Formats: sequence, structure tokens, C-alpha cells
Amino acid sequence: MMNLLLEDWLAWSADEMHFMLDSHHDLSCRQGPEPPLPAMLRRRLDATGRAVSDVLTLLDPEQTYPIVHASRHGDVKSSLAMLQALAANEPLSPAKFSMSVHNAVLGVHSIARNNTRSMQALAACGEELDAMLLEAAGYLLEGHEAVLAIFSDGAMPDAFQAQGVGSSGASCVGLRLSLRHGRQLKAEATGERAEPTPLDVARWLAHGGELQARQRWSLA
Amino acid sequence: MSETQNLSLELKRMIIETLELEDITPDDIEPDAPLFGEGLGLDSIDALEIGLALQKHYGIKLDAEAEETRQHFTSLNALQALVEQRRVS
Repeated sequence: MMNLLLEDWLAWSADEMHFMLDSHHDLSCRQGPEPPLPAMLRRRLDATGRAVSDVLTLLDPEQTYPIVHASRHGDVKSSLAMLQALAANEPLSPAKFSMSVHNAVLGVHSIARNNTRSMQALAACGEELDAMLLEAAGYLLEGHEAVLAIFSDGAMPDAFQAQGVGSSGASCVGLRLSLRHGRQLKAEATGERAEPTPLDVARWLAHGGELQARQRWSLA
Repeated sequence: MSETQNLSLELKRMIIETLELEDITPDDIEPDAPLFGEGLGLDSIDALEIGLALQKHYGIKLDAEAEETRQHFTSLNALQALVEQRRVS
């Protein structure tokens, strides 16, 4: 694969992170973007969506680079609430329904920040890290100077516990990638497979070394 | 507090709660100010949301396409007149 380089990154978690994180990489230690998200748009986003928008703005204050947003489950709490309402023959909230598409967070971010660059939302059944880095590499090969790749998920509702789907609680991790400078990200096929969460990715970026996903990633 | 004032406050609270207007208090909603565009600054999804809330709270069903529905949604006072006239409960 190409020479994919990590310029900067930023992580957020609703819960304690349980690993050492430099304050530069911890959204909760950083001053939020100025101006903040307008209140009339902010209300449409949950805590994770707000963190995604803030991370994207702090990593690219000039709103210059394309964005790839990966989320395995999206706003799963609202999705479940809507399914339960349908099951009970209750009408759906139009606002919740409008936010139930996978690119809804990017849509609000785009309006709030007047950002008209290319934006892409994806879900990949546990292979979000590989998928978003592959998409980011595509943008870089097309000639973009840098790309933002952000991976987020909300907290998993109790109703899903029995499904054994991994979740690290409400969290996100955003990366600014380029071909020009930064720490090198390398992938190696190993025949093994794992499904890292946003917090697993943040822990890896904080500690360095390797992270098994669809491929085994290493950070120089 | 009169019944009219009660209903006005009830409608303001319904709007704030339904539309998740985090930074707005009932005092911020002017009874005569436009709810949409200028004024409170609500959007078309908010209109649908208020329509649903009127149905849930007061049993009022509105036709989304009707011109008179637009009239009912111009201000809090207009909404209040609608509820006083058409509430089922």
C-alpha cells in the first residue's frame, strides 16, 4: 500500500478512557471550536455527533479536506427507539427520522460549518477502521492534500447485549491523514481478524505498536 | 394565572420539550413573534414535529398541505387559538 501518514488525531469518550492520553489528543482537554455549533443545529445531534463535528473542526479549522465518517451502528439508540415506536403503532418523530440516515451527522456538520467539501459516511460490520483508511487513501491518491477520517459509535442499548456486538460506549476518534508528513500507518494481512472500536483505535494511536483489524495495522 | 396564560405556558413548554430547544426558556418565546424563519427560527421538520405533538397532546389532526395549517403555525398566539378551538380533551 501507499505511504499513508498520520498528521494529527483527536479522541473523545463519554466515559473514562482508562488509558493515558496526551491532552493534545483528548477533545475534553481542548478548547472547543469557535464559533461553537449553532444551538438550532446542535440540538439535532447526540453527544457523539457533537463530538464528531467538534473533532472535525479542530482537525481542519479551515474546512479544507474531504471527510470519511465511519460508524458501525450510527445513532443506534434512536434507531431502536423508532423501531419500538413502530412496533407499538406509535407515530415516529419526524426529527428523529430525519436524523436516522447514516450521513446525518455529516449533513448537520456541513450546514453548521458551511463546509461543501466531499463527505462520505460508511458502515462496515466491524471493519470500519480498514474501510475508512482505504477510502481516505483513495482521496489522497486523487490528489487531495489531506483527508479527515473519523470513526464514531454511540453507546449500545441494553437490548443489544445478547447479540454480543462489541461497543466501547459513546466515543469517537478522528485522524488527519496525508502523504506528506506524519507517522506512517502500515497494514499487513495476517489471516486473523478483529473488530476494533473507536476507543481501541484511540488506545492504539496513543500507545503506538500494532492493532489487529481486518488487517494488522502498525504505527511507526 | 388565567386559563389562557396557563395554556400559553403549556404550549411553550411543549414546543421547547418536543423540539429539544436546549437554550430557550418559555420567556424567550414571544406570543406574537413568528415561530418559523425569523423569530424563533424553527424549520420544516419542527413544523412536522409540532403537528405530531398537537395530535398527541390535544387530539388535533391537521392537514399538512392545507393553507389554513400555515396560518395556525405563524405564532404561538395562533397555535393557542387553534388549540382552544379544536382541542378534543
